[in-house]
This record gives sequence, C-alpha cells and structure tokens, in this order.
Amino acid sequence: MIGDNVWLDAFVRLLAVLGLAILVVLILTYVERKFVGRIQMRLGPMRTGPYGILQSIADTVKLVVKEDLRPASADRWVYELAPIAAFVPAFAVLVALPFTDSWGVRVLNLGLFYVVAVSALSVLGYIMAGWASDNKYALLGAMRSAAQLISYEIPVVLALLALAMVAGSLDLVKIVEAQGRVPFIVWQPLGFFIFMAGMLAETSRRPFDVPSAESEIVGGPWIEYSGIRWSILFAFTEYTTMFGLSVFGALIFLGGWNWPLGLELGWWWQLLLIFVKATSLIIVTLWMSATFPRLRIDQLMGFCWKLLLPMAFLQVFLNGLLLVYKWPDWTLLLTSGGALVFTAFLIYDATRVKAPVRATARGVTS
Amino acid sequence: MIGVLKAMATTMRTMLRKPVTIQYPTVHREIPERNKGFPLLLWDFEVDEPYCTGCHACERACPVECMTVIMKDNPNFAEEKSKRRKIVDEFWIDYGRCMRCGICVEVCNFEAIAMNNSWTAQEQSRFDRSELVLDLDQLLAQSKAGKIHPWVAP
Amino acid sequence: MTVEQEHGLETLEINVNVGPQHPATHGVFRMVLTVDGERVVDLVPHIGYLHRGAEKLSENLDYRQAIGLQDRTEYLAAFNAELCYVMAVEKLAGLEVPERAEYIRVILAELNRITSHYMFMGAFATDIGVFGTAFTYGFREREYIQDLFEEVSGDRMMYAYFRPGGVAWDVPDNFKERVRWVCRQTRVGISDIDSLLTSNEVFVTRTRGIGAISPQQAIDYGLSGPVLRACGLRVDLRREEPYSIYDRFDFDVPTGEHGDSFDRYRVRLEEMRQSVRIVEQAVDQMPDSGPILPEKLPRRLRCPPGEVYMRAENPRGEYGIYLVSKGGDKPYRLKIRSPSYCNLMALKEMTVGHYVADAVVILGSIDIVLGEVDR
Repeated sequence: MIGDNVWLDAFVRLLAVLGLAILVVLILTYVERKFVGRIQMRLGPMRTGPYGILQSIADTVKLVVKEDLRPASADRWVYELAPIAAFVPAFAVLVALPFTDSWGVRVLNLGLFYVVAVSALSVLGYIMAGWASDNKYALLGAMRSAAQLISYEIPVVLALLALAMVAGSLDLVKIVEAQGRVPFIVWQPLGFFIFMAGMLAETSRRPFDVPSAESEIVGGPWIEYSGIRWSILFAFTEYTTMFGLSVFGALIFLGGWNWPLGLELGWWWQLLLIFVKATSLIIVTLWMSATFPRLRIDQLMGFCWKLLLPMAFLQVFLNGLLLVYKWPDWTLLLTSGGALVFTAFLIYDATRVKAPVRATARGVTS
Repeated sequence: MIGVLKAMATTMRTMLRKPVTIQYPTVHREIPERNKGFPLLLWDFEVDEPYCTGCHACERACPVECMTVIMKDNPNFAEEKSKRRKIVDEFWIDYGRCMRCGICVEVCNFEAIAMNNSWTAQEQSRFDRSELVLDLDQLLAQSKAGKIHPWVAP
Repeated sequence: MTVEQEHGLETLEINVNVGPQHPATHGVFRMVLTVDGERVVDLVPHIGYLHRGAEKLSENLDYRQAIGLQDRTEYLAAFNAELCYVMAVEKLAGLEVPERAEYIRVILAELNRITSHYMFMGAFATDIGVFGTAFTYGFREREYIQDLFEEVSGDRMMYAYFRPGGVAWDVPDNFKERVRWVCRQTRVGISDIDSLLTSNEVFVTRTRGIGAISPQQAIDYGLSGPVLRACGLRVDLRREEPYSIYDRFDFDVPTGEHGDSFDRYRVRLEEMRQSVRIVEQAVDQMPDSGPILPEKLPRRLRCPPGEVYMRAENPRGEYGIYLVSKGGDKPYRLKIRSPSYCNLMALKEMTVGHYVADAVVILGSIDIVLGEVDR
C-alpha cells in the first residue's frame, strides 16, 4: 500500500501497469516485424536507429502527425469513442493479473472470472467502429469480427471453467499456488489447446484474421480510420490483448511465477519466470501467425462450434469426473491427453489429402 | 494437426538461416559481366575520338526507334590522325524508350556501342522524363573516364 | 425452397467489384461478382487493361526485333514464349538448329518453367493469406535461377536471347556447374514449400473442393496446361507432339484427380520436380562445344510466303504462335494464342456457387499472366 491512501495507491499502480502496457506495445511492434522478417529470411527494419530499434517510435510519430479523417456522414461520437471502447477492456485485463505473489494492481478473488468477462467487452468497440463508419463493407467486417470474437469466447470460458474446477478457486493467486508441483498444462493439454486457439481468435491473428487483414476485398471495420485513432484500435488493442492473455496463460497454464521454485526464491525470480513464460507464449503466437493461411469465415465458425465447443465440454466433464471420484491427477493426463490426440485425428481426417497426385510413367495414357 | 506442426517446424528452420536480403544503398550486389544495362558509346583512346562513325546501323535495327544519329566528316581524317572518314556528330538515345534488347550492339560494325554492365546503368532515375534523353557527351562520359569494361559477344 | 419463399423475405443480390487493382497479385484484371449473401451467383470478367498491341507491333518489326515483344507478353515464362516464337519462324523458314543450341534452349526454358511456378506458389499463398512466408521462399530460389539467367543472357526477366536458328551467343564456361548447383538449390526450395503448404491443414481446407471442374467441361472450354491436367487428363504437348528435343528426355507428367485448386497446386509442385529432372538430363547430354547458330544464316532473315502454327507447352498451358508471312523479313500477321486468356473463360464456371472469399483463390489457382491475356 503506497502512501496510506487507497486511491493514491491504486493510481500509482495503474500508472505503472499502463506504462508497462505501452512499453510492451512498442517493443512488440518491433519484435514482430523482426521476427516475422527472419522467418521469411529477410532482415526486417534496419535503418531507423541501429538495427531498426527506433522503428516503433518512428511509426508512432508518423501516426500522430497524420491527418485525422472522419467521414462526413459518420456518427460522430460513436466513431470517435470506438477506439477507446476497444482499447479499455484490453487494458483492464492487466489490472487483475498478479505479476508476483504479492504484487498486482488489485488481486481480486474473482480474478479468472473478471479477466474473461472484461476481455469480452472489446467486441463492443469493433461493432461501434463498423457501424459508425457508415460504410457497407465496414459493417460487414464488423459483423464478421463480432461473430468470431463472441463465438470463440465460449469454448475458452468452458476450458477455463474446467481448470478452475480442478484448482478449486477463481482467485488467480490461488490458481498459481496450486501449480507448485506441476503446471496445469501437463494435466490438461486439451484445455491449453483450446485456450491458445481462443487467444489467436481474440487478437484476430492468423489463422483467424478475417477482420484484420484485407478480407480479400476490403479492409474490415477499420477502413475509415487513420492516424493515431487507427493505431489505438488496431495495434494497441491487439498487442495489449496479446500481452495480457499471454501473461494470463502463463499464470494459469504454465505455472506462473510459482513453478519451478517461485515461492522460495523471492520476487525477482518470480518476475523473471513470468517474463520468460509470457514471452514464450507471445513468440508461439507470432510464429503461428506467420505460418498459417487465413481460414474462411465459415470454416472458422465451424472450427469453433463443431470442434472446440464439444472438446471444451469434454474437458469439463473429465475434470468433473476427477473431482467427484477423487482420482489422482495423472488420470487427467490420460483422459485429456487422449482427447487432444483424438482432436488432432479429427482435424487430420477432415483435411487429409485423400487421393494423392499420381505422377505416372511415360507411355501410359489415360 | 501434424501438418500444422510440420509447417511450424519449417518456419522455425528457416528462421535460423541467414537472411538473404542485403541492404541496398550501402551494399551493392555483384552484377554479372553480361548484364545488359542501357547502351553507351565507347571512346577510342588511341586516336582520341569515339569509335562510332554515325553509320545508322543501330538506329535502323532498334525495335523501338530510340536513337537518333547524325554523321559528319571527320576532321581528324583530314589531318591524317585517324582512319575514320566519318564520325558521329550528334547521338541521342532515349533511355525511356530503350528496351535493353542489345540488338544495337549486335549489328554495330565498329564495336562502338556496348551495353553498360555496371551499377550506373541501374541507377538512372531522373525526376523529369526529358532528362532521360542522353546526348553524345553523356553517353561517352563513362567510357572516357575508363569506368566501363564492356562485354562483347564472341 | 429458398429463404425468400419460405419466410416471405426479400433478399437483394449485391454486385461486388473486385477491381483492377488486386492486393499484390496477378496484374490489372477486373471481375464483377454478383453475390447473394455470401455465395457468388454470377461473374463477369473485364480484361484489356494491359493491352499493348503486341500483335500489331510485330507486323512492323523483323523476326529478330520481335523477340523482345514476345518476352514482354508472357513475362513470367519468357524463355518458353521466345522458344515457341523462334520455333515457328524456324519452321516457316526451314532452319536447322544446331545441337548445342537446342540443349541450351531446353535447359533455359525448363528453368523458366520452375521460376514461373515459384511465382505461382508465392502469389497463390498470398491469396490464401500466408502473406510473405511462402512468397519469400519461392522468391529466394527464383533469385538463384534469375542470377543464372543474367549470367547467360544479360537480363533477369526480358531476355531476348533466343534467335531464329539458335541462340544469340554462347553460354559462359561455367554454365554446366552453375546449372547443377541451381538444380540442387531448387530441390531444397521445392521441399520447403512442400512442407510448409501441402500438408498444412488450413491450406488444404481453403483449397480442396474449391473451383472444381470436370474433365468434360475442361475439354469443352479449351483449357490446357496444369488446369487441364489437374482434372485427370494427361495431356502434355511435350509428349503429344514433341517439339525441340523433348523426346530425348525421360520425365513424368503429373495429373490430379478432382480438378480443384488443391490439385492444381500439387500438379504444379510436381511439375517443378519433373523440370529439374529434365534439366539434369539435358546438362548431362549437352555437347561441350559446337555451333550455336546455323552456318549459312543470312544477315536479314527472310521467310518464304506461307503460314505456320506452332504450339508449345508453357507453364500456363498451350502457347501458340500463328505466323503468316508474305515473303519479306517482317511477318504479315502474328497471332498469339495465349493459354491464360483461354483458361480465364472457365472462371465463371468454376466460381459460381462458391463463397466470395474463394473467388480470389480460384483466380489465383488458374495462374494467369495479364500480359498474355491482354497482349
């Protein structure tokens, strides 16, 4: 408690986390371009500053000095507030995350619930943006985006519910403490898979980036935005959500600041662990973004409702069995791991190349 | 699922390779000897005049008609310094029309014109299109300075 | 019963204009889709944005000058286009091509087929959404091959290297080693793209069953090339009417089964491997020295009066040159039968009934070159 004033304390901590979020966004824009560039065997930004380090700052300056356009027939207040409505929930997720065992902005005993509920609110920002732009294609893109975001919430919520059942609490600190011996990813790989798919969909990254990139024809809900307003809607929200969900995923699945030896070694080790785990989740997200093509909107929805949702129910069921019959933890690995393999098989079967291309010998005509 | 993991393994493998791009303005790629840049005229150092006699062979052979040649009587011939009766008086090539096919080099009887195989040929950007029409002095400049090693087809 | 009849709702069909400027591929091509909800009901292609009058211009250029124009018509597979044109002139004028020149031409044409297919891989993956990764893999290999082209002919894309009767000048001394090195590198590139895309589930779901066309329809529309072979018909002009020295090489002709976009991609991938085989055989068989142009070649080539139609297997299909000569050194009429133009006729057939998002994928899988379509 800083100073003895609750408000001052809250304010200072919020500022710290806001600063962290902005710093992370700046770093992530640079890291993404370098990382994706290396995957594509090219150098990435190199000219702005040594090895292109100042690229994010150059981008920010460029966006700030751009002209702030607004279509004349756009709904003025909705148009201007849409980026904020999209960004604030992404930032609000960071408020409930405990970065070490005793430091977070506010550690709520409903932490998990709060994170899931608040991160769903950014859908409102996208719909506001699409509606207020007074553009047929923006509305179309916004509707698709809303459909995607809302649909992917559901399996994620169920997977996290399953996890909370086993951990016995919704409080994030307690969940992390319950992973002292073994992180939850080991027992519940299926839940982790569902969470990763949900994270990719929440941040609108490939393969689920129908709203984000050129949706083959036009630009999605952000066509009419320019300059810093666009940057808040797009870059800030996306990277803050990615950061928030990565820290969240690191906390609940990868053992957070507790595994391997968090509680014993003190806060510096815990911070390091959190940092390393969140970074690895971010890198995996960027890696998957750079590798996959885009799914079509109907395939995306089919993937969610027909595959992820039943798997999420299955995970809840398995966890329930574990609790009711008091089975030891490793049975969960068998069942959840088995379900994950089964999911992989379903995906493989649905997309298998059934009739291979025949390269036949000369002289045999068909 | 397997395919997805295979694809991710491929991208990880390529990430660990050395990047193939180079930073252009600071580093230039090496151009092969036969590169067909824009054509330029060669200077005969022994007699101190261009090789070109203004015979119009390249002008006629050019598919896009980008050259204009004017011939004159060679003053050096009258003074017995050179064997060329006629010498080029004016020569214009419009680099904006040239299609770099190399036919002019093939038909030249005197090996007076050559394709520029150095980086200067690639960096011919101008702000005004009329600056792309080069006259005789500009065409001879690089050869006079000795900065050209043209490749001639055997 | 449709939605309208069942619920008494009135639905509208929208026209979506996929305008002359595409994100990053194919050139200036416009298609107007009529969409009902998300399904395409009708498609009208508009071409002609890149018409440069190649056929008319050729009437004023003699046989050597027109080679540069052929390059620019089919810019991604220029050696193949030049080869077809040069063979047409040779057929009409009755020229005999020396051995070494034949081998050089075949090697360069097959390498150009590989570069054209690399370009296809990159552009197709970009259409699907991979943006960047498959593109740069394909282009890195393409750069190696283009460096080889530059060492031989002087240009990376608009070569103007073939001449009626042979090639313009001889290849450099280290040609064989360079070609072998390029072949080794290319195999790495092909397998990179293969492992990135072929079994990638997202890629497969985006392309399987999209844009399928039956063999009978393919024959009716006059399709050719990988589009036709993906339907299951093993038609390859290098086998049916072997031109140049293709009958000396041992290679397979890959076919697909369903005629959809995924099969077209796989056919092209396999064709790249077969091209590498041809190049390796050609390099082994090529004579180490010899003339590259016939001895008695006149300075100005004049063709006797007559007409000839010559066709070749380009990476995109059957490329045909119809040449009418009235005895001078310039053709009277030069008509180009371009495969992309004919393959585009089937675009409507392939796209109607699919989603809007698939229209771009199908266009990408036909692999058109606008220079050819519009000439």
